Amino acid sequence: MVQILVAEPSYLVRKGLSTILQELKAVTKIEEVQSMEELIDSLKSSTPHILIINTTLSSVPEVDEFIKKYTSDVQVISIFNTPIPDDGNELVLSVFDSKSVLLNKLRNQVKSVQQSVTQQDNSEELSDREKDVLKKVALGKTNKEVANELFISTHTVISHRKNITRKLGIKTISGLTVYAILNQLIKLEDIS
Amino acid sequence: MLITADMKMADLIHMDFQLLAFIQRIGIPLGFREKTINEVCEQHEVNVDFFLQLANAFHDTDYFPKEKLLQFKADWLVKYLRRTHQNYLEQKIPDIQAKIIQLEEDLKETTQSYELIKNFFKEYIGEFSTHIELEEKTVFPYVLELSNCIELGKKTCEFNEQFEDFNINQYLEEHNDIEEKLFDLKNILIKYLPPPTDNGKYNSLLFDIFKLEQDLKDHSRLEEKVLIPRVKKMEEELENL
Repeated sequence: MVQILVAEPSYLVRKGLSTILQELKAVTKIEEVQSMEELIDSLKSSTPHILIINTTLSSVPEVDEFIKKYTSDVQVISIFNTPIPDDGNELVLSVFDSKSVLLNKLRNQVKSVQQSVTQQDNSEELSDREKDVLKKVALGKTNKEVANELFISTHTVISHRKNITRKLGIKTISGLTVYAILNQLIKLEDIS
Repeated sequence: MLITADMKMADLIHMDFQLLAFIQRIGIPLGFREKTINEVCEQHEVNVDFFLQLANAFHDTDYFPKEKLLQFKADWLVKYLRRTHQNYLEQKIPDIQAKIIQLEEDLKETTQSYELIKNFFKEYIGEFSTHIELEEKTVFPYVLELSNCIELGKKTCEFNEQFEDFNINQYLEEHNDIEEKLFDLKNILIKYLPPPTDNGKYNSLLFDIFKLEQDLKDHSRLEEKVLIPRVKKMEEELENL
């Protein structure tokens, strides 16, 4: 499922973009935010595949920095409030673009993202390493303890945990414990 | 569709039955006959503008009149949020818990799964109650006393005694996310529990969890986007008295 975040202060433009995106018929989940605060909150809790953002928002230094730091693998498409020449650049939209121009640009972007997303979604199974991490986390160990026991860095543990949460759809430690027991990765008796 | 004061209250519910919970929490009982929203609100001493702004916000998530909501009395908001808490603790949570207990029969073969789910939810109830208790015992009394001080134009003795060192930022630090566990519970039920012999029970439980999760989202939005900014404004006013 391709996830798209639309960050646009104008209600009219935001709704218009969402409507056009829905016409693309690709399986997409569209989320909308209207301000800098909402954008940052949303990016903190989940990472979209595509971020469509008005330049009045992305030009704020704070936002720009945040996007570069936390969402480096997100495809960013900019919306300009002014007309722009049609030079084949699909990563810029203008509020003056015609429907056909908008649809074409967006369709190509969604299509290319969709291919890589489908591949990723098919590899939902946890890797052996992820299972090792999950077992230890489910037993209540901290990231640092897991890192020491598996001889990897804390940073690697965190990135494994992110992937586990994404694949399983389970965020909390007690949720992961339930999963690990149901799938016989650990035994109920192991938990102190 | 925009909800207006001249609409009949009964029509409002036909249009969006999800608003039933909201109407209950704002303190209006059923039995509307042909009365309009305006008339029903007057009868039950609910400010009609407050009713309309909240009704519209719950009916349509895009419609969130933050500026307008910030102008209402903090006491009204607190009263509404309190009734919502009561509804969670007395109805929603016990309903879900009862449905989990009903799963025992289905999960007989794997008693362990049943115990896991039951304990998981028990843990959740614990977290949930702590969260609500903090608001009921500290935050709401603070807000009410703060509002009282502003009305009187001075810091009251009660305020000085009880809340001398408290401010809303302290609460913000402890205001944690209580929806995460529900999110996990959904996925465990949908994806990882052994398939049920009785789908109906599972579905009904899942439906309740989805609804509670949505309800909590609306609830936190009201707290974070309206109550807290309102309190910050009042704190400033009090400093400048």
